[in-house]
Amino acid sequence: MKNSSSRGFITSLLFLVGGLVAGLLLGVILHALTTGKFSANYFTDVPSWMLGFLVGALAFFYGLLGYNGVVRGLVWQVVGTLSGAAFVTLVRWILDTVGGGEYTLFDLRNYGLSEPAWVFGGLVGALSFMAGVGAVGDWFKWAKGDETHDHHPEEPTWRTYFGVSLDHKVIGIQYTMTSLLMLSVGGLFALIFRTELALRLKPDGPSMDIISLNLYNSLMSLHGMVMIVSILLGIAGVINYLVPLLIGAKDMAFPRMNAFSYWVTIPAAVLLLGSLGFGGFDTGWTGYPPLATRAPLGMQMFYLGVWVAGWSSILGALNLITTVLRMRAKGMTAFKMPIFVWASLATSLISLTATQMIGLAFQLSMFQRLFGMPFFDVAKGGNPILFQHLFWFYSHPVVYVFVLPGLGVISELLPVFVRKPLFGYKWVAMSSIGIALVGFLVWAHHMFTSGMNEYLRVPFMYATLLVAVPTGVKFFSWVATLWQGKITREMPTPFLFLLGGIVVFLLGGLTGPPNATVATDLHLHDTYFIVGHFHDTMFGGYIFPFFAALYYWFPKATGKRLNETLGKWHFWLMTPSFLILTLGMMRIGLLGMRRRIADFDPTLGFDAWHVILTISAFGIALAVLIFFFNIYKTLKSSEKATGNIWDSRSPEWQVPSPMPAYNYEKEFEVVGEPYDYGLPGSTYVKM
Amino acid sequence: MSSNEHSHSNSLFQGIVTFVVLAFLTAVEFFIAITNASLLLLTTVAFIKAGIVVYYYMHIYKLFEDEDEHAHDHNSFAWKLATNRLGLWLFIVSDAFLFGGLLVARFNLLGLTRPHLDQVLGLGVTAALLLSSFFMNRAETLMAQGDRKGFVTSAAITLLLGLGFFLGVVFVEWPNAAHEGLTASGSAAGAVFYMMTGMHAFHVLTGLIFLGIIIRNALRGHYSAEQHWAVEAATVYWHFVDVVWIFFYPALYLIGRLGG
Repeated sequence: MKNSSSRGFITSLLFLVGGLVAGLLLGVILHALTTGKFSANYFTDVPSWMLGFLVGALAFFYGLLGYNGVVRGLVWQVVGTLSGAAFVTLVRWILDTVGGGEYTLFDLRNYGLSEPAWVFGGLVGALSFMAGVGAVGDWFKWAKGDETHDHHPEEPTWRTYFGVSLDHKVIGIQYTMTSLLMLSVGGLFALIFRTELALRLKPDGPSMDIISLNLYNSLMSLHGMVMIVSILLGIAGVINYLVPLLIGAKDMAFPRMNAFSYWVTIPAAVLLLGSLGFGGFDTGWTGYPPLATRAPLGMQMFYLGVWVAGWSSILGALNLITTVLRMRAKGMTAFKMPIFVWASLATSLISLTATQMIGLAFQLSMFQRLFGMPFFDVAKGGNPILFQHLFWFYSHPVVYVFVLPGLGVISELLPVFVRKPLFGYKWVAMSSIGIALVGFLVWAHHMFTSGMNEYLRVPFMYATLLVAVPTGVKFFSWVATLWQGKITREMPTPFLFLLGGIVVFLLGGLTGPPNATVATDLHLHDTYFIVGHFHDTMFGGYIFPFFAALYYWFPKATGKRLNETLGKWHFWLMTPSFLILTLGMMRIGLLGMRRRIADFDPTLGFDAWHVILTISAFGIALAVLIFFFNIYKTLKSSEKATGNIWDSRSPEWQVPSPMPAYNYEKEFEVVGEPYDYGLPGSTYVKM
Repeated sequence: MSSNEHSHSNSLFQGIVTFVVLAFLTAVEFFIAITNASLLLLTTVAFIKAGIVVYYYMHIYKLFEDEDEHAHDHNSFAWKLATNRLGLWLFIVSDAFLFGGLLVARFNLLGLTRPHLDQVLGLGVTAALLLSSFFMNRAETLMAQGDRKGFVTSAAITLLLGLGFFLGVVFVEWPNAAHEGLTASGSAAGAVFYMMTGMHAFHVLTGLIFLGIIIRNALRGHYSAEQHWAVEAATVYWHFVDVVWIFFYPALYLIGRLGG
C-alpha cells in the first residue's frame, strides 16, 4: 500500500511536468494561431502558463487518483466552462443572425469568445464541478423522492481526502490542507511582487524589472483575495474539525451541505486563479468600479470566483450555527461551552449575513460589465460610492470572521499551558459576540476619503473606536490568565505561537485607532501604514493562532506530534521576520509610501527599506517551508503520541488519538466549568 | 379526534382571515400611494404585512416550540425536523440580506423617486402572488390533515399563480417597461428595476421548481400528515418569496414621486 502510493506520487510528479509542458505548448500554439505568426516571447505568456498549470494539476491528480473525486470534478469544470461558453456564443450568433446582423463567432484576439460567454461558462463550470465531484448527488435523489443512506464513518485512507466525504473530520482536514495550499500560492504572489519592489536595476526612471505592470497589479490584487480565501478555508477547517468534538456531536448538523461548502471552494479557487489567465485585473482585491468596469476579462473571473466562494461561507456558517444550537452534549449550557465554540458562533453570524453583500456588490459590477446596467456609472444616475458601501458592509465585518476564531484559540489554549482557569470566562464569551455585533456598524471607516457624505464620518469613527472595548476585554483576560501562571521552561511550540499572536495582535490593535480617527486617517489612508496595520491584525488574529492550533491539534488528528525543534525554528524565524516586515511597512507608510503602486520615486529614499522588507518576507516564507517539512517529517516518523499529551481537560483529549471515526463511543456529559485548570477535584466532562 | 378536526378547520379558517387582512392592507397601501405616497406609512404597512405572513403563514413560532422527550435522539424525525427548520430559517435570514442590499441600492440610487411603471399590471402580479400564498398555506394545512389530494390541488393552483406572476413580470412587465423607455442599460433606475425584479423572479423560479418537485412526489405517494418536511420547507420558502415582494412592490411601484 505504502509502496504503491509513493510510486504513484513520483509518477504523478512526472505527469505534472508533462501536463505543464503540454498546457504551455497548447497556449503558445493558440497564441500563434490567433496572431498568425510565432514568436519566442509567447513562451512567457501568462495565459499559456495558467493553461499549463491547469493541465499540469489535472495530470498530477490523475496520476495520483485516476479518474476519481477531484479529477472528475476538474474535468467536468473544464468541459462545463467550454460548453457554457459555447452555448452563449451559439445563442448570440442565432439571435444576431435572425436579427440580420453578422455576429463574429470567435474573436480570436479576445480569448476566442466574448465576455458574457466566458462568464456564463465559468458559472456553468463551477456547477459542473460540483456535479462531477459528486457533492450534489444525494440532493437530486431526494428531489426524485428516493431515499439515501446516512453515512457510516470509516477510517479514512489518503484517498478519502481527494473525494467527497461527509465526515466532519475529513472535511476539516481537507479545508486545512487546501488553506495551506492557498496560503502558499498567495505567499508566492507576495514574494514575486515584493522582489519587484526591492529591485531597481535601472537607476533612473520607472523600473519594472522582472514583471510587467499588469502582472504586478494582478498578483498584488490576487495576493489579497487568495489570502482571504485561504483564511476562510483555514478557519472553516479548524471549526469543522473541532467544534463537533468540543460539543460532543457525531458530525455537523448537515453533513452533505458541509461537503458542498468545502468542495465549492475548489472551482472558486480555480476561477480566482484563472483570472490571471484572462488578462488579470488591476483594481486591488477590492474590485472598485469605475476602474473595474474597464479592467480586463480577468476582473469578471475574479468576481465570479469570490461570488462562488461566498456560498461556502454562507452555508458553512448556517451549518455551524445549527450544529452549535442543536447538538451540544448533555449539560453543556451556553456558559459551559468552550470559548472556541463561542468564537465560531460569533464568526458564523457574520459570515451568514454579511457575505450576501459582497456577493451583491460584485454581482452588480459584473452585470454592469455584462449588460451595461449603470449601477456605478455617474453619467447615467449611478453611484460608485454605493459599491463601496455594499462591499465594506461585508469586507469590514469579515476581518472579525478572520480573527475571532484565532482569538478563540488563544483563549481556549492559554489556560492549558499556564495551568490556571481562564480569567473572566463569561466576559470573554460575550466579547466575541460583542465584536461581531459592533463590527456591523463600522464599515464606512474604510471610506473617509471616498467622498461619501461627510456627516457619516464622525459616527463611524466612534463606532470603530468602540470595537476596542470588547477586544480590550480579551487582552485583559489573557494578561490576567498569564499572570502567575505555571509556565514550563521548555515553552512548547503552540504556546510560543499563542504568545506571538498576543503580541502581534496587540501591535495590530494599537495601530488601529490612528486609522479609525478621521483626522489621522486622511493622512494614513492608502499608505503602507495601513498595509502594516492589517498584516499585524491578520497575523496576530489568524496566522499565529492558526499555527498554534495546528501544532496543538495535529497529534489529535494524526496520532503523531510535530517536531518541537523544527517548530521552534519555525517560530523564531517567522516572528522577527514578520515584525521587521510590518514595522518597516508602517515606517515608510508614515513617510509617504503609497500602497498598491508598482514602482516608486527613488528620491523618496525607500529603496533600502524595500530590500529589507523583501528579505523579511522571504524569511517568513522560509519559516513556513520549515513547517511543511516538519509535517512531512512527522508523518514519516514512527513515533506515536496517542495520549493526552497537553494534559487538557477538553473532551477530545480524553479519548485516544487519532480521533476514532465515530468520535465518542458514548456521549459525554458536562459536569463542571471548562477552564478550571489547577483547581483540585474539578472535572469538566464525565466520559 | 373532534378536537383535532376542530384545530384543522381552524387553521384553514385562519388562512382565509389572514388572506383577507393582507388583501385589505394591500388596498390600503395602494390608497396611500395615490393620496400622499408617504414613505413612512408605506414602509409601516409593508412591515405589518410581512409580520403577518411570517407569523401566520410561515409559522416562525414553530422554531421556538418545546420539543418532546425524543428531542435528544438525533435519529428521530422530531429532532431532524426541528434541526431542518432552524437551517431553513437561517438560510432565509441570509437571503434576506441580499434583498435588503438591493433595497439599499434602490434607495441610494433613486432616492424618493420611482420609475414609470404599469400600475395595473403591478397590482395584478402582486394580487397573483398574494393569492398563491393563500393557496400554498391551504396546501400545507391540507397535507397536515393527511389530505393528499387536496394538497395536490391547492399546490397546483399555487404553481399556476406563481407561474402567472413570473410570466407577468418577465414577459409582460419587462417588455412594457422597455417599450416605455426604461431599459436596463439606459439609466440607474432601469438597472435597479430589472435587477430587483430579476433577482426576485429568479427566486420565484426556484420556488416553482421546488413546488413541482413536491407535487410530483406527493402524486407518487410521498408525505403524510405527520411527516412532510419537504412540503413545509417549500411552503416557508414560497412565503418568503412573497415577503420579499411585499417590500419590493411598494419600493418599485408606490413610494416616492415619478422620476424623469
